[in-house]
Formats: sequence, structure tokens, C-alpha cells
Amino acid sequence: MTEPKKLTRLQAIILLVALILTLFPIFWIVMTAIKPPTDWNASPAIWIPSEPTLINFKTLFDPDAIRAYGVGGVSQAATSAVIGSIIASVTATLLSVSIGLFSAIGISRYAKNSKWTPLVILSGRMFIPAAIAVPFVIIFSNIGLTDTYTGLIAIYVAITLPFSTWMLKSFVDDLPREIEEAAMIDGKSRLAAHLTVTIPLIKGGLFATTMFIFILNWSEFLFALVLSYSNINTIPVQLAKYVTATAGTLYGVQAALAVLAMLPLIVVGYFIQSHLARGMTFGAIKQ
Amino acid sequence: MRQQNQEKVHTTLRHYDEGKLSRRKFLRNMSILGVSAFVANAVSLSPLGATKAFAAIHAAEERAWELAKAAAAKAEKKTLTLLIPTGSIGNMTPYVDKWRDELGITLQFIEEPDEVVHTKGMQEAVARTGTYDVMMPTAMSYPDWIDAGVIYDLTEWTEQYDPELFHPEWGVVFPASHHAQLYNGRVAGLLNDGDQITLLCRSDHLDDPNKAKAFEDAHGYKLDVPHTWKEYYNLAKFMHNPSEGFYGSLEYRSPYYVKWMFMQRLISKGRLYFDNELNPTFNSDEGVAALEDMLAMNEFLHPDAFSFTWSSNYNAFGRGEGFMNIVWPSGYKYSKAPSTGPATTGNIRATVMPADTLADGTLLYAGLFCWGYGYAVSRYSANPELAYAYAQWMTSPTISADAIPYLGGYSDPYRRNHMLAPTQRLIDTYSLEYLQILYDNMVNTVPDFCLPGGFEYQDALDREVNACMTGSKSPKQALDDAARAFERITRRTGREKVLKSWLALAKNLAEPIRKASGADKW
Repeated sequence: MTEPKKLTRLQAIILLVALILTLFPIFWIVMTAIKPPTDWNASPAIWIPSEPTLINFKTLFDPDAIRAYGVGGVSQAATSAVIGSIIASVTATLLSVSIGLFSAIGISRYAKNSKWTPLVILSGRMFIPAAIAVPFVIIFSNIGLTDTYTGLIAIYVAITLPFSTWMLKSFVDDLPREIEEAAMIDGKSRLAAHLTVTIPLIKGGLFATTMFIFILNWSEFLFALVLSYSNINTIPVQLAKYVTATAGTLYGVQAALAVLAMLPLIVVGYFIQSHLARGMTFGAIKQ
Repeated sequence: MRQQNQEKVHTTLRHYDEGKLSRRKFLRNMSILGVSAFVANAVSLSPLGATKAFAAIHAAEERAWELAKAAAAKAEKKTLTLLIPTGSIGNMTPYVDKWRDELGITLQFIEEPDEVVHTKGMQEAVARTGTYDVMMPTAMSYPDWIDAGVIYDLTEWTEQYDPELFHPEWGVVFPASHHAQLYNGRVAGLLNDGDQITLLCRSDHLDDPNKAKAFEDAHGYKLDVPHTWKEYYNLAKFMHNPSEGFYGSLEYRSPYYVKWMFMQRLISKGRLYFDNELNPTFNSDEGVAALEDMLAMNEFLHPDAFSFTWSSNYNAFGRGEGFMNIVWPSGYKYSKAPSTGPATTGNIRATVMPADTLADGTLLYAGLFCWGYGYAVSRYSANPELAYAYAQWMTSPTISADAIPYLGGYSDPYRRNHMLAPTQRLIDTYSLEYLQILYDNMVNTVPDFCLPGGFEYQDALDREVNACMTGSKSPKQALDDAARAFERITRRTGREKVLKSWLALAKNLAEPIRKASGADKW
């Protein structure tokens, strides 16, 4: 094992600045999430609250909790938004990555002469979301998919599929096809060869893609906003609703929900970090 | 509780009619029961007798309730769904139990961010989900929503059930009664929020004898709330003390809000937004002067003026970071309450928006009615009559007076009785003096762009005013660019349609403003 290279002073400073810039928004959100309402807008700004509180987190699930601080008008718990985000994001991510995986294998291994197919798939991502939101609303309302998780998941899959296909295609491309052919010579069918050889070998890329697609779905706002009425809700839409007449924007409650929204990404990211690192660097060295 | 209160009121009225109560005792009892002094006095003197006279002011509420009972009995869907902006629910929740218990109707509220309500309405034009029964937009949404077939024209209902919108004693204050509720002379929505801007000053600084003397020595007139924009500028400059974190004014310069600061100054100079042929008129000498006045003020503004939202603005003023602020009525409530206005509670003196001096030397007082929510009835509602009944009931002279003081909602006074004959709860919330100022300001208000394509006009103007305030365009260039953008919007929306709507709006403005702008000759 090689010793890690020592950083020069300049490199250390640059790294430190980059670290501060990266972590500062997270620090600020976490601090705001534990500030009482009186400290949200304080001037000069309060960096670390002298009396940290969990009232903002409590308000997410008990809207009346914050009345203790004279703030009224929060009417909706975030429970439905959290559940909604989990349902829509997890389902859409699984579908997008599953379909994308087989598309990627198909394009990489069996559509070598069809140079337009990958581009056509990617072109789905070229539309400005705001431009296609209204047509989707019209179509979905005609077929009864507005305000349903089915509709939201269908949109999420449609808009993330080009990403998952392209990302996974690059991982499959970098895998020597001779390995799959060896499995087939050993008697495996094409499908079995891909299931038992291709997919395990691009596991890192698969995790990285899943994580990326999940983040896209988890933070999506526009489609969730236009397609939701009363039956469905997601965290990004709920975040925009924390405004009251008595206290304006509820920065603390918004921050608390943002912290909650970050947690699954951090936890999952932590457990799959070794795969992520592999996935991100997979194919960096060409054969 | 409310039911019990009403029974007590009716008992008091009956006892007075039967001669069991003296007039003085009657007035006192009515006051305790939350009835305004004006109403109590009027009914006590009425030749009809107190019970009948009292019923008169309650008539709009009673008619709406009767309609609601009939519509609720017929309704198959027992839920009434309201699309409302986030933060407004507090004025509506106190009545949820009454509707459920007495009518069997569940009120369901769908809250959407303020800036999304208009879009959600337009979306309903194509989606036609029928999710909403009642929708709560600002008056600017009515033209587009009516034209897109999203909401009902309420005129026939208002003729049949008379919400008393134009009643001389408790109707909606003119001209808001027209510009915030009508589209081309037809009722499009019922106003439930008297959004207008007024000016707040710190009375503790005005009453400081040292400052009073220094100001009078410097300017040759007494230190007081500003009556003109010139005095406003002088005051901001005089009070500006950035080393102490105290600024002349907290006037907005932030995107989205800054257009209103320009529109207010423009109308103070006797200019409207268009002429009688729909040519933009703000890129005129008056418009340029308005922007130059704003640029001159920038030096004396709070450093956060370029990023203020209404809540950060109210909070900064409440913390005592400035001498003056231009606010909606809710800003007064914020500044008055010790929790949100620790430095301003008990230290506020309000006034109508300052006047400007016209070419002939006269002073023109003009106000700006900006935003202002109302109830509209969705065309795709399963129970449109019930939805209308809700709108009329909530905005009736009596229920609205009860609803406005509740915390956690945006509703502000808009009927004459709210301001000129307020209940004790309204007085406790706003103060008698401020309610009178709201009335004095509202009678001179000019509306937002309550026209087809209204939001597009406002956004175009906002972009250019903002470009001027941040120094990227000169006043003339910014206004000329805005005028060009207006022409494009007019062409796209349809000149005839917008012109018809504009002329209808301009017809119903306060006489001094019509005269100063020349609209009286259109």
C-alpha cells in the first residue's frame, strides 16, 4: 500500500476553502433548523443558537407546536409530503434504473450500428421542463393521472430515463464483451450472461446511477407542483408552503424539513460510498 | 360560541325593543357582545326597531346562509374545496366547525404558494379536474380566468342574493369595490382582503424634541409624518443614521416588489399606466421623474432593501432598523404587536401615501391597491351555488368583520363598516386611527394591472424598474424598454380586449385621479 501524498501548504489551503464552501450551506441549514423563531431572521445573524430547540422538527409533524412561539397559520403536517416523496422517488428510481439498465445493455451490445438511438433517448432530456409541464398536465388530466402517484412516477421515470440509460451505457461500454462471451461459451443464455456477469461487474456504476437518479427524483419540484392537488404531495412542494401571515417564511421549519430530506441521501451515500467511488472512476482507464 | 353570542345579541335587541333596556345600557351590552358602536347606535335610533334594523346589516350574511343551506341539502358531494394561498388559512378556519355541524359540509383547503395560485387556476382551464370549488386569487387573475373559462361570472348570483358590495354604509370602499371585484363591469370575484400600501413612521423619533428642533431649523417646517414625497425624502435623509444601524426608510427595491414602489410614485404624479388608446404612458417625464426620485432615495434605504421580502421587511422594521416603511396593512399589525415589533410597538404613526405636486400646483393624493385576495367560483365545481354562498357569507359585512382580526390570515379591512364602524376586535387589531387612515387612503387607490395579461405587464415593468435601480439601465431606457414589452404583450393578448378592460377600470377611479390623469375626458 502506498503512503498518501503529503499536501503542500497551498493545496491544503485550497482544499480547506473548498471544504468550507461545500459544508457551509449544510452547516447553516442545520443551525437554522435548531433555532427558535426569534433567531431565524436575527440581525446580526446568529450563527449558533444559544438555546437550540427541536420545535421546528416537531412542527413538521404537529403544525400547532410552533404556536408556543406565537406563530400561527401552519396548517399542514409534512407527513404526507415525506411519505409521498418516498413513494414517488423510490418507485421511480427503481423503474428508471431497471429500464435504463436493460436499455444500456441493449444499446451497448446489440445496437452498435444504430448511432441515432442513444441520441434520440438523450433528446428526451433536452426539453425545458417548464415547456412540457403544461402539455403533460393536459394529457394526464385526460387520462385521469393528475394528482396520482402513478402519474408522478410515470413523469419521473420519463425524465430520468435518458440519464440512467446514458450513464449505465458508459459503464457497460467499458466492460470487455469477451467476459460475457466467455459466460455464453460456458452455456449461459444471453440474458443469464448479462444477469450474472455484466450486472455484477458494473455494480459500482449501478449504485452511482441509482444514487444520482434518486437525487433527481427526490429534489424534483416543477412536475410535483403542477400535478399535485390534494391527494399527492412531496417534500420540495411542501417546502414552498411554509409561509404564514403571522411570521412570513418559516425558515426554521423549512430548514428542519431540508435536514430531514438530506438524511436518507447521507445515510445511503455513506453505506454505498465504496461503490460510489468505484462507479465514478469506472472506465477511467481504457483497455 | 358564535351561536351563543348571536343569541345574546338577539335577546339584547328584543329587550331594547320591548323597552326593558335603556339606550345607554343597550349600547354598552352590544359593545360587550362585539357589535360595533356604529351598528349599535344606528339600530338603536332606527324607526324600524332595533331587531329589524340589526337584521339589515346582517341581511347579506343571512341570504348567503339560506342559499348555503339549500345548496348543501341538494349537494351530493359534501366537501367544499378551496384553493387558497399559503398563509391565508387563519381567516377561514374559525368557521369550519359551523359549516360541518350546521350544513354537513366539510371545508377542505388546498394551500399553494402565493405566486402559484394564478398558474394553478390557468392550469385548471386545460386540466378541468373540478378539484376546486372556491378559488382565492388576487383581482389580477380575474380577467385571464374569466376569459379562459375557469371561473363563473358572479353577476347573476350577486343580483339575486345581493352581497351588498356597493352599500353606502357597509359596502366595499369605492373604488376597490369596482377595480378589485369587477371585470368589464361584471362581478368576477368577491374581495376578502383590502391590500393597499400606507406609510408608517416611528413616533418616538417624531416626538423627540431635539430632533424636532433640528429638523425645523434645517427645513423650516415642523417635524411630522410626510405629506408629500419631497417631505418623505427630507425625513429619510434627516433620520438616516447608518452608523447606528438606523436607516431613513425600508422601502422595497427587491425584484417583484419594486414595481409597486414605482407605480405608487407614478400615480402620485397624476399618470396612469396607459392612455385611452392603450399606449403606455409611464415612459414619460413623470415616469422618469418617479424613477429618479427612487434612485435619489436609494442612499437612505436599509441595506437589505434590494433583497427584502415582505416578511424580512416587516421583521427589520419591527427590530427598529428604520424610521419609515411602506407596508400593507399587515405591516401595521406586525409593527404593533410586541412579539413581531419589539422596537415599534407603541411607537408607530401611520399616514396615507404622500402626495405629489402637480403642474398646476395642486397636491394629488393617490394610493395603490396592490394584491388583494378575493373569492371566485370555479366553473368546474360540482356545487357552484354552494361555492358562491360560501364566498358571499365569508365576505358579508358581518362575517368579514369577524374574520379579519383572526391571526394567521391575510385578510385586511375592505368594507366601509370595517374602517368607519369597526368592531372592538378590529380596533384592537388595527387601532381606530389606522382604520381611518386605511379608509382615507383606499378612496384614492389605483389598482394593479387588473387586465387580461395583467401578470405579464407587471413582470415586464418589474424587470425594467429593477434594471434601473441596480444601475444597468437609465430611467428613460428602462421605461422605454418596458413600454416596448407592453406593446408586445398587448399585441399578443389582443388590443381590443385589453383596451375595453382598461377603459372600464379607468372609469371607476377617484375623481381627483381621473382629473389629474385626464381619464375624466376619455
